[in-house]
Amino acid sequence: MFKLLKNLIKEPMFVIGSVLFLTTIFAGLLGPFFYTAAPEGMSYETPSSQYWLGTDNLGQDYVALLLKGLQNSLYVGFMAGIIATTVGTLIGLFGGFKGGIVDDILNMFTNLFIVIPSFVVLVLVSASWPEGRSLTLIAVLIGLTTWPWTARSVRAQAASLRGRDHISLARINGATNLEIIFKHILPYLASYVFMVFIMQVASGILSESAISMIGLGPIGEGSTSLGVILNTAKNNSAITYGYWWGIFPAAIVITVIVFALYLLNNSMEGVFNPRLRK
Amino acid sequence: MSHILEVKDLTLHYLTRFGQKIHAVTDVSFTMKQGEILGIAGESGCGKSTLVNGLMGLFIPPLYPTSGDVLVNGESLMNRTPQDIRVNVLSQKVSMIPQGAFNALNPTRKIKDIAADVMAAHSENKSGNKNEIYERLRERFDLFGMETERILNAYPIQLTAGERQRSVIGISTLLNPKVVIADEPTSALDVTTQKVVIKMIFDLLEKNIFSTMIFITHELPLLRHVAHNIAIMYAGEFVEYGTAVQVVHDPRHPYTKALMGAMLSADANQKNKKPTTIEGAPPSLAKKIEGCRFAERCPSARPECRSKGQNLRMVGERLVRCDYAE
Amino acid sequence: MLKKYPTVRYVLQRAIWYFLTFLVALSLNFFLPRLGSDPVDIMMAQSSFSSPEIRKQTEENLRKDFGLIVVDKQGNIQRDEKGNAIKASKISQLVNYIGQVFKGDLGTSFKNQKKVSEIIVQALPWTLALQLPTILFGWIFGNGLGALAAYRRGVFDKVIFPLALLMSSIPFFVFGMVLVYFFGIVWEIFPAVGAYSLELTPGFSLDFIISVAYHYILPFFSIFLILAGGQAIGMRSMGIYELGTDYIKYAKWLGLKESRVLVYLFRNAMLPQLTGLALSIGQMVGGALITEMIFSYPGLGMAMLTAIQTNDYPVIQGVTLLITTSVLLANFTVDILIALLDPRVKQSLSMDAK
Repeated sequence: MFKLLKNLIKEPMFVIGSVLFLTTIFAGLLGPFFYTAAPEGMSYETPSSQYWLGTDNLGQDYVALLLKGLQNSLYVGFMAGIIATTVGTLIGLFGGFKGGIVDDILNMFTNLFIVIPSFVVLVLVSASWPEGRSLTLIAVLIGLTTWPWTARSVRAQAASLRGRDHISLARINGATNLEIIFKHILPYLASYVFMVFIMQVASGILSESAISMIGLGPIGEGSTSLGVILNTAKNNSAITYGYWWGIFPAAIVITVIVFALYLLNNSMEGVFNPRLRK
Repeated sequence: MSHILEVKDLTLHYLTRFGQKIHAVTDVSFTMKQGEILGIAGESGCGKSTLVNGLMGLFIPPLYPTSGDVLVNGESLMNRTPQDIRVNVLSQKVSMIPQGAFNALNPTRKIKDIAADVMAAHSENKSGNKNEIYERLRERFDLFGMETERILNAYPIQLTAGERQRSVIGISTLLNPKVVIADEPTSALDVTTQKVVIKMIFDLLEKNIFSTMIFITHELPLLRHVAHNIAIMYAGEFVEYGTAVQVVHDPRHPYTKALMGAMLSADANQKNKKPTTIEGAPPSLAKKIEGCRFAERCPSARPECRSKGQNLRMVGERLVRCDYAE
Repeated sequence: MLKKYPTVRYVLQRAIWYFLTFLVALSLNFFLPRLGSDPVDIMMAQSSFSSPEIRKQTEENLRKDFGLIVVDKQGNIQRDEKGNAIKASKISQLVNYIGQVFKGDLGTSFKNQKKVSEIIVQALPWTLALQLPTILFGWIFGNGLGALAAYRRGVFDKVIFPLALLMSSIPFFVFGMVLVYFFGIVWEIFPAVGAYSLELTPGFSLDFIISVAYHYILPFFSIFLILAGGQAIGMRSMGIYELGTDYIKYAKWLGLKESRVLVYLFRNAMLPQLTGLALSIGQMVGGALITEMIFSYPGLGMAMLTAIQTNDYPVIQGVTLLITTSVLLANFTVDILIALLDPRVKQSLSMDAK
C-alpha cells in the first residue's frame, strides 16, 4: 500500500490531479465561511475590485455564488458517487461471486438500466417533482440511475476472482459467502472500487450540471449549484449580451473538478495496471 | 565465411523509467554453422527472450544494444535502422517461432491473411495479386500434411492448439529464413501434440525449408534429442556451452548440474533418483555484480566466488563459466 | 430450429431482449412522471380559467388524454352516480398507454394542442442530422487519434493524451457556450443560434442549404471535439493493452509493415471500443440534446426544453420515449455489428448452438 503511494507520487498526473482536486475541495468546503459576499449591486455588473467576478442577474456577488455552487456541486457529486458505488459494488460483487441464476438475473437488471438512458430517467422524475427538489433528492436520483456502470465492472472483476485458489481454499475451510466476499474478494477490489468511485463522483457532478442546465436542477434557498449558475446565465441571455463572467468561471470550475478526477483515475490506472506505463 | 551466425560479446540492456540500466544479456558469444541446431536452456527470466530480440536486430525501446555484434551471413545487424531490419532481416534472414501460438495469431484475421501479410511485407512488388499469393501459400501449406484449405480459411479460434502452432511454424518459415529461432514452441502443448510439432519442424529441416535453428526450451531432455550443441544460460550469461551429449550427460557447471538434478527424468534407471531443487533466486541485474552470478545459490561455492567474476574456460572440451569446475 | 444459423438465432435473441427492455422502458416512461405529483395537477395549477365549469372540463379532458379515467369505446367519459369521472386503475392506465404508443399515438401537447407525434416528426430530422454525423465522426476521429497515441507514445502521446483528457472533462454544453461566446458573439464568425437564417423559408434552395451548413459548424464542433477526446482516451488505453499482446509482438517479429501492425491494433482495439460506444450512447445523446438548447437548434432537445419550461407532460414523455427507443436501436445495431466483426464472438455463437 505504502509502495503504491510512493509510485503514485512519482506520477505527474497524480500530483497535478490531487493539487487541483484538493484546491477545489478546500475552496468548496471552507470558501463560503471565509469569503464575505459583497453587498448586492446592479444586475450583471462587470468584474471590478469590489466584485471580482462581477454580479449575476440579481446583482449578487459571483464569487460568493461560485463558492456556494462549488460546495453544492461537490455535495451532489460525492453523495451520488457514494450511492452509486455502494449499490453497484454490492450488486456486482454478489452477482459476480454467486454466478448462476442469481448472477443472470442481476446482470440482466444491470444491462437493462445501462441501455435505458439515465438522462431520460432523471428528466422524467425531476420534471414530476416541481416542488422540494432538494440537492439531496437530485443526488439520490443520480446515484440511483448511474450504479449499473459500477455493477458491471465490479461484476467482471469479482467473477475473475471467483476461480482463484485462495477463494476455493476459503470455501473448503467452511467460510460463509459473506465472509468470502468481505474478507477475500473486496480487499482485492478495493483499489478498483476506489477508482470507480472517483469516476462516479465525476459523473455525478456532470449529471447534476446537465440536469440543472435544462432547468430541472435543485430549487430552493441556498441550493445554487454550478449547473444552476450556468442555467440562470443562459436564461438571462448572458452569452448573447457578452456577460462572460456569468458563464466562464462556473464552466471552468466544473471542468477543473472533472479534469482533476480524471487525472487521478488515470494515474491510478497507470500504477495499478503497469502495462499502461512505458 | 563458414559461419551462418556469429554472435560476438553481445550485451543488451533495458532502460527503466528512472534511467536505470538493466543488463539482461551479458557477453554472449557463439557461432553457428549452416545446418546446426543449437539449444539454449535456462530458467524463465534468464535472458533467453531478450537474447532472441538481439539476435534479430530488433531493438524496441526500452531494449537497447550495449556492445558486441551479431552477424548473419557475415552481415552485421547492429546500427541499422528499424526499417532496414524489418524489410531485410526479419522473416528472411532470421525468423522466430514464438511460444503460445494461440495468442501469437491475430484473433480477427484468417491464417491465410496473416501469411499474406508476411509475404506482402517483404516483397518489392506492391501490387501483388492476392490470388497469386494465396496460391503460393497453398503450395507451401500442402507440405505440412494438414487440411490446407480448412486451415488457411480459418480464424485462429477455429483451430486446435496443434493446428495453430503448426500454422505459426508455417508462417514463420514462409520465406525460407537462414536462421530460425524457436522459443519454447512446444511448451504450451500436450505430449501428443508436442510430438506432432517436433515432427513438423524436422520435416521442414529435411525439406530444406530452413536448415539452421536455435531451439530455446527449459526441457533439457528434449534438447538432448533435438540439438547438436547446447548452451545453458543463467542471469544473462552463458554458463556452459558444449555438445548436447556433453552438456546433458556430463554437465560440469554447478548450475547445469543443479538444473539436471531438478529435472524429473523418465529414464528407467534413474527412477530412484530424487529430483533436487535449486534454492534461492537469480540475482537482480539492476546492480553490477562483482562475483560469480550463481555464487549465492551454488552448492559448491567458495568464499572467493562472491567477489571474483568467472570467465568461460575450456573444461573437458566444452566451455564452462566456473574456475573450479572439472 | 435455428441451430444451423447461429447468427440469425443470435439476432433474434437480441431482438427479443431489446423488445422486452423496450417494454420496461415504456413502463418507466409511464410511471416515473407519476412518482412525484400528478402531472395534471401541476399543469392545472399553472393555468387560470374563467369559470369552474371550464376548469373542470379542461381537467377531465386532460385526465382523459393521460388515460387516468375510464372511457368507453366511443371515448365517452364514464362517470359514477355523483357525476365524477371514474379513475382508472394504474394497471389499466399502463395497458392503455402501451396500446396507444403502439398505435403511434403519443398524446396531444397541453400547450398548443398539436399532436406530440407531429412535434417530434418536425424536430427529429434536425436532431438526427446533428447527432448521427457528430457521434460517428467523433468516434472515428477519436479512436484514430487514440490508436496513434498508443502506438507512437513519446511526444505525440504526451501532447494528445492530456489534451484529450481535458476535452473529455468538459460537458458538451459548456464547450458549446464557450464556442458561442467567442465565435458567435465576440468575433461574429459563425451564427450563434438556430439551424438556419430565419429570413429563409426551409426548402431545397441553395441559399437555405448554405445557411444550414453555416449554422451547423458550431454545434457540430461543440459535440465532436469533446466526444473525440473521450473516445481517444478509451482507445489509447485499449491500444496500449493490445500492443502488449503476443500477436502484435509476433507481427513485429515477422517484420510486418508498420501500417499493417497499426491496422491489426486498431481493428482489435476497436471491438471493445464499439461495445463502449453501445453502452455510452445514451449519455452522449443526453448531452448532445442539451447542446441543442445552447444553440436553440430546432431539434428534440429544444422541443424537450420548451416542454419542460411549460410543464408540457405529453411532449416530455413523447421525447423521452423517442430517445430511449433510439438508444435501444443503436445498442441493438452495435450488438449485431460486433457479432459480425469479431470471429471470436461468432465462434462462441456457433458453440452455444451446439
